[in-house]
Amino acid sequence: MDEGKIVVRHLNFFYGAYQALFDISLALKERQITAFIGPSGCGKSTFLRVLNRMNDTIPDTHVEGEVLLDGEDIYAPGVDLIRLRQRVGMVFQRPNPFPQSVYDNVAFGPRVMGLDRRVDMDELVERSLREVALWEELKDDLRRSALTLTGGEQQRLCIARVLAVRPEVILMDEPCSALDPVATMRVEEVMRQLAKEYTILIVTHNMQQAARVSDWTGFFWLGELVEYGTTRELFTNPQRKLTEDYITGRSG
Amino acid sequence: MIGPRATFDRELHKLQDEVLVLGSMVQKAVIRSVEALKQRDQEAAREIIQGDQEINAKRFEVEDACLFLVASQQPLAEDLRLIAAVLEITTDLERMGDHAAGIAEVSLMMGDEPLVKPLIDVPRMAQTGVEMLRGSMDAFVRRDAEMALRIANRDDEVDQLYNQVYNELLTVMFSNPRTISGATFLLWVAHNLERIADRATNICERVIFTVTGRMEEINVRQPSGESKTRALG
Repeated sequence: MDEGKIVVRHLNFFYGAYQALFDISLALKERQITAFIGPSGCGKSTFLRVLNRMNDTIPDTHVEGEVLLDGEDIYAPGVDLIRLRQRVGMVFQRPNPFPQSVYDNVAFGPRVMGLDRRVDMDELVERSLREVALWEELKDDLRRSALTLTGGEQQRLCIARVLAVRPEVILMDEPCSALDPVATMRVEEVMRQLAKEYTILIVTHNMQQAARVSDWTGFFWLGELVEYGTTRELFTNPQRKLTEDYITGRSG
Repeated sequence: MIGPRATFDRELHKLQDEVLVLGSMVQKAVIRSVEALKQRDQEAAREIIQGDQEINAKRFEVEDACLFLVASQQPLAEDLRLIAAVLEITTDLERMGDHAAGIAEVSLMMGDEPLVKPLIDVPRMAQTGVEMLRGSMDAFVRRDAEMALRIANRDDEVDQLYNQVYNELLTVMFSNPRTISGATFLLWVAHNLERIADRATNICERVIFTVTGRMEEINVRQPSGESKTRALG
């Protein structure tokens, strides 16, 4: 339970008086992909956003319990949020590249962080684009506007943008819901490659995607983590009736 | 550039390799079971019977991998047919392993009793059965439906040998009733070998299904009242 890149203990989360998460405890394994599934409004996205304090931007929310990143509580006073969000990056549902060149999109984060004086930016851009399997396609066209890329390419560019700041954990909130099946599979392959180096968490409505891509799966229901285990076990032999009914399409 | 389903393709490849491993375990068991009978090597016979547990365990492992691929990868078209075929093929392989263990069991039952006749056609049956098994695995890897059909048709050779062995053993029994027990043992051996060839034919059917999507039985026999192979199931 205590072994993990991120360890969550007795987490409760509130939007004002409304409690969205109830007593969540789990350990997220390093360099593995963990997927969270569950019906709309079950708290899975809220949970994901707790992990890099993205919910802090929403007024009147509060957190109880502990979220430890490498053993340190990210909700402790004095935590540097910029640094936290560099270590725990996020990819969103819709690809949201900046209206700039491919190169500038990837270089954006490192420049903001002032890394451009310390690193070889060309090298960093190349490495990040290679990690998302875009380099070969775009290497001769790095000045091209990111907005001219296909949806799938844009989403992989957004992943590269996160990678450029060298995060340790990548949170993905429905990263393929705006993509066609082939583009989805490409993103999933990229995720499998990235899992060799990064800890990845994905929230998805698409149960099949969770089954395909993840090593661990958590099932949320009405703000509770009903079941959490290896993807193999959860999808072939779930321990709870509620999980079985949900994954077989009989409830939810 | 990474293919969009590189992970799945890798898993399918791994599954195929595991089937080949199982196939080669079974092949070894069949060859050794007939060798143990020839050599009257009871120690080897015991080892074959014990080794059957490894074959069974491997079969469950492959089956488990198939189920997880279905659950996790939503296979369709040829991928789906392949996984469905593998489930059937591993059952056939496991049963072939049982037949090898059956032959080893006969070796043990015969103890030191001398053979009622020299083994000539029985090793031939084993040889052809093993060739069919090996060929069916090749056809499986190559996804070669024509090759699978050719191999399946060799089942007739094994059936002919079986009939030959059967008739010879009857003659032996008629001429000397004291050989009945020993001859019956050999008949059981021949029957096991005949079934091994049938199982190889089943595998070929599954290869054809994987490639073409057609589910067809090869070597359909008409009712004749003369089929010993069918009579024994």
